[in-house]
Amino acid sequence: MVRYLLRRLASAVVTLWLLATIVFLIVSVLPGDVGRRVLGPFALKEDVARYNHQIGTDRPLIRQYLTTIRRLFTLDFGNSYQTASSVNKIIFPALFRSGKLALLAFVITIPISIAAGIFAARRQDKPSDRIVVTTGLASSSIPEFVTAAVLLSVFSVHWRLGKVFANPPDGTSVIGQFRYLIMPALAMVVAYFGYITRMSRAGVIHGLQSDYARTATMKGLSKGEVMRRHILRNALAPTITVISVQIGYLFGGIIGVEKVFNYAGLGSTMLNAVTHKDIPVLQAAVLLVGVVYMSSTLLADVLIAFLNPRVRLETTR
Amino acid sequence: MSEFDEPVPAPGEIVSTPGADVLVPSTTIRATAIPPTTPAETELSGVVQFSERKQARRENWRLIRRRPAFIVGVFIVLVWTSCAMLGDKITPHDPFKPSSSTHLSPSAKYPFGTDSIGRDVLSRVMVGARDVIKVAPLGALLGVLFGVIIGMVMGYFGGWLDNVLSRIVEAFLSLPVVLVALLAITTLGSSTWVVIGVVSALFTPVVARTVRSAVLAERDLDYVTSAKLRGESSAFVMFKEILPNVSGPIIVELTVRVGYAVFTVATLSFLGAGPQPPSPDWGVQVSDGFRVISASIWWTTFFPAAAIASLVIAVNLIADSVQSVLEAS
Repeated sequence: MVRYLLRRLASAVVTLWLLATIVFLIVSVLPGDVGRRVLGPFALKEDVARYNHQIGTDRPLIRQYLTTIRRLFTLDFGNSYQTASSVNKIIFPALFRSGKLALLAFVITIPISIAAGIFAARRQDKPSDRIVVTTGLASSSIPEFVTAAVLLSVFSVHWRLGKVFANPPDGTSVIGQFRYLIMPALAMVVAYFGYITRMSRAGVIHGLQSDYARTATMKGLSKGEVMRRHILRNALAPTITVISVQIGYLFGGIIGVEKVFNYAGLGSTMLNAVTHKDIPVLQAAVLLVGVVYMSSTLLADVLIAFLNPRVRLETTR
Repeated sequence: MSEFDEPVPAPGEIVSTPGADVLVPSTTIRATAIPPTTPAETELSGVVQFSERKQARRENWRLIRRRPAFIVGVFIVLVWTSCAMLGDKITPHDPFKPSSSTHLSPSAKYPFGTDSIGRDVLSRVMVGARDVIKVAPLGALLGVLFGVIIGMVMGYFGGWLDNVLSRIVEAFLSLPVVLVALLAITTLGSSTWVVIGVVSALFTPVVARTVRSAVLAERDLDYVTSAKLRGESSAFVMFKEILPNVSGPIIVELTVRVGYAVFTVATLSFLGAGPQPPSPDWGVQVSDGFRVISASIWWTTFFPAAAIASLVIAVNLIADSVQSVLEAS
């Protein structure tokens, strides 16, 4: 178990390093002068040179690369081009706000989609199953911002059920914040419902057809007990994996949702950085999302290993 | 080798057998490629391989065509494609000309209403497919092309090359495509070709992973070994021998990627990393429209958003039909 964990951790570190390298290559080696891009085509040559010196983009590439790697592992991302204040001060509060939104979305999505998966699996190939599967396919293929825009126009504007701007005023209680966050969270629920449902449905169908489920039924367990004690436990692993992957990918979709609802999370911070060509903020945001993805998949693997004695006791891996 | 005993249908001959839905199993196709011993047999097995594969393909295509989801998907895609190609020749109003009638709600004259400078929303939605319908398939196609080449190399050669490339692929897959695309487009500019290039570059790793695992399943089969023993070059074995046998997963990957490409391109243009106003692109229209939504002007947001949803769902219906048929065979 310990060896498995160490191997898994080492591979996560290698992937993170590669990730930082890819991000570095995109922002540094691709053509274009950073100072020129930030200051615009009419700035004086000397100003551009002074600016490049100030932010360090005139240093040799290898030194810039080492700085990027150091920043990733110390989680200190330097200063923003736009405001000259520390990137960390901008990025971590934003990540926290996005995290709140994401947490609410997942708290709603996970139970609903697992229940829908079990429901569909027990009625495999019947009309109700087809409806669940098709709805899931359609809803997860629509971009999040489209769902968010439709929810905004129908529920928040037409029926006045939610807020148009999702930023709660400072000092709003947790329950008060819920009213602001529910609409953007629902847009994400629609987007991620499909994947998790599909996975839990497939897991339960696989379990229902298995020998162990038949054995359990024949030794006299009730249908509910076979489902709870045998099938669900086995269907859990692939469901946990898909959830952990979604936690990382959610940060792609959350940008659009935050833009629609004017929510000051990581997505809005990134869009603001895009407008002002604030590369350090963008770079930090992308790397942070990478760290979140790595941690959540690592956590999922550990959880699965812990739940499954075959993986837990395996010494060869 | 029981299939050698069966009469070989001539190329182009339509074989009518009871229960024509039963597909020629793919193992049959592989088995016919087993090492020929005499020149005569070389020619014969070549013909067998060709005609049976062609027949299996025709059969798959017939099964795909019969699926209602496929028909609906193709219909919607054709509607948007013809709107995009015919453009303002068929729109009821000029999609670009402002007028004094701003923010009119949907009516008989303006079925989808008018926007903030009095342009007809219906006309703009009709021409708004132009960019996405060009950019998304091209990006997906190029991504699949690069992915096939890299995945083929990874799966065929294996070893340290595969290890290194797998790690890089894994690093790419740990980031949401939209996020990296946003970063790349910010540094490179948002011209059409940059968007196509970025989308294809970001789709390459995931395609490579799929192709790699398909190739791994083929690599040690007899027909590959025999081709190697014949002294064929690696490129020949990869692209003439293995590629036809992994075409199923590649076609599935292509249709699925087109769906994701529409999704990605629409999201990017909504976020401002794509066509710029006054372009009638759907993402740009939604981005323009939702600003006035708190004043109950919902039509400038709703119709382009619904258009995006319809195109994405249509492409996914096609992809799903292709996938169900090809993966069952």
